[in-house]
Amino acid sequence: MNIKQEMKDDVLVISLSGKIIGGPELIEVKDVFKKAVEQDRLKVLLDLGKVNWMDSSGLGVIVSGHTTLSRAGGALRILNATKKIHELFIITKLITIFETYTDEQKALNSFGE
Amino acid sequence: MIVQPIEIRLPSDSSVLETLQLIVEAIGRSAEVEEDDLSLLSIAVVELTKNAIEHGNKSNPEKHVTISFSILPNRIRFLIDDEGSWEPEKALGFNPGEGKELLLTRGRGVLIARNLAKWVEFGLTPEGKTRVTLIWPLT
Repeated sequence: MNIKQEMKDDVLVISLSGKIIGGPELIEVKDVFKKAVEQDRLKVLLDLGKVNWMDSSGLGVIVSGHTTLSRAGGALRILNATKKIHELFIITKLITIFETYTDEQKALNSFGE
Repeated sequence: MIVQPIEIRLPSDSSVLETLQLIVEAIGRSAEVEEDDLSLLSIAVVELTKNAIEHGNKSNPEKHVTISFSILPNRIRFLIDDEGSWEPEKALGFNPGEGKELLLTRGRGVLIARNLAKWVEFGLTPEGKTRVTLIWPLT
């Protein structure tokens, strides 16, 4: 799994790629969310478009990020979840918590609404 | 193609999961599971194996998870055995899809496996250890 971060206007875009299958890598992702809050970057867009395999460990870390940001008054939104990842969000009802987007610009704009 | 039970024995260490994912997808491919469904099959088996490692074997690397698979007419059957005797419904006795539990960071594995596979059943081996049976239908 790889993690890429980029600021677009005042939104931190975190792009994950590869497999999210558990283990120490997930701690790295949790840390990215914690650092975002420490640096007062409270609008975070998580791009999952290049994640080709993910299980409940990945969902757990996304929920953790949501909680970390929400407690600080921020928000985490999801971009480009593949069909299969979207299915996991539906099965677990996490779809009721997360706003998901397939268009980056619309996702970025949503933070200003 | 019919394949009689073949066993894979894994140490209780999360580092084996990626290898397991690839093995399960190879099994699925050999049984002609549709390419688009291979990752769903591997997610279901990996989720149940993770539970066996964490709940059954308490992540003790000296304990093993044994996965036996058979390719049968119209289905693949996986048996996932650990060395514990945990009570899955008790240990996982909450619904991570409801209320406050929606925001728990863990506990969704069985929910996901049960939704992706057509049949997931918890039981015991003849020795009284935990056994999960997963049936994946073949079209």
